[in-house]
Amino acid sequence: MNLDELKKLKEKAQRHVALREGNKKYRVVVSMGTSGIAAGARDVMTTMLDEIEKRGIDDVEVTITGEIGLVDAEPVVRIEEANGEKTTYANVNAEGARQIVSQHLETGKKVEMLAVGKVKEA
Amino acid sequence: MMEDISMHVMDIAMNSLAAGAQRLEIAVVESHRHDFLIVRVRDDGRGMDATTLTRVLDQRTTSKQSRKKNIGLGLAMLRQTCEMCGGNFHVRSAPGQGTSVTASMQLSHVDRPPLGDLNSTILALCAANNKVDVQLKYRTDKEAFQFSSRELHQ
Repeated sequence: MNLDELKKLKEKAQRHVALREGNKKYRVVVSMGTSGIAAGARDVMTTMLDEIEKRGIDDVEVTITGEIGLVDAEPVVRIEEANGEKTTYANVNAEGARQIVSQHLETGKKVEMLAVGKVKEA
Repeated sequence: MMEDISMHVMDIAMNSLAAGAQRLEIAVVESHRHDFLIVRVRDDGRGMDATTLTRVLDQRTTSKQSRKKNIGLGLAMLRQTCEMCGGNFHVRSAPGQGTSVTASMQLSHVDRPPLGDLNSTILALCAANNKVDVQLKYRTDKEAFQFSSRELHQ
């Protein structure tokens, strides 16, 4: 931890906060309870934020929630679409996070390898 | 088990958000001269009464009503880390008065986890909430740094 890194924090936070404004097509919810954090949910979230920014996707909102009860499947990422459809991804790592952004969020194609359960229709 | 201190901070901060905090202050003081590391997470959430306070320090307690089996290890794990590293752990809280969690450790202790990526913790907290003012105060023997997410919205 050094001070230069911290100074970059301001710029970066500014860009990520800007991601929250306006109407969004997708809402990404990262489970950030104790088990999620211990399994690496925080880094999954920052990887997704970076990737979203890198690809210039602007119709996505990324947020966090508490423990959701899928302790053995953490880190868990849920994607909620504007039409109410929900997809849950389990055991997401940094690579998986990038895949979810590049496939699901950018092209609308689900990453079936990481998805759990059946697709819930609204 | 949490890998580093920044993850503990994330965990404690999530409690604050769940308590409906509007202001979340994370203070980190790293002193080589006095050989300590202090981390304090303070919020203005709904706070806890004395009974809840004694219970949360016990392992396997959660404030969630919906859980049948009580789990909830966050504070207990941080306390264990502090005590393992020659430090102290305090929680001060009262209903309506917010909560303040203070964790101290011996900086040079061989078991002390690294501080970790505190930036990611702050970024994740800021990105996920635009209503909560997330503040970071970081101080070492020589330098000091302050950050507030409120500034970003101006």
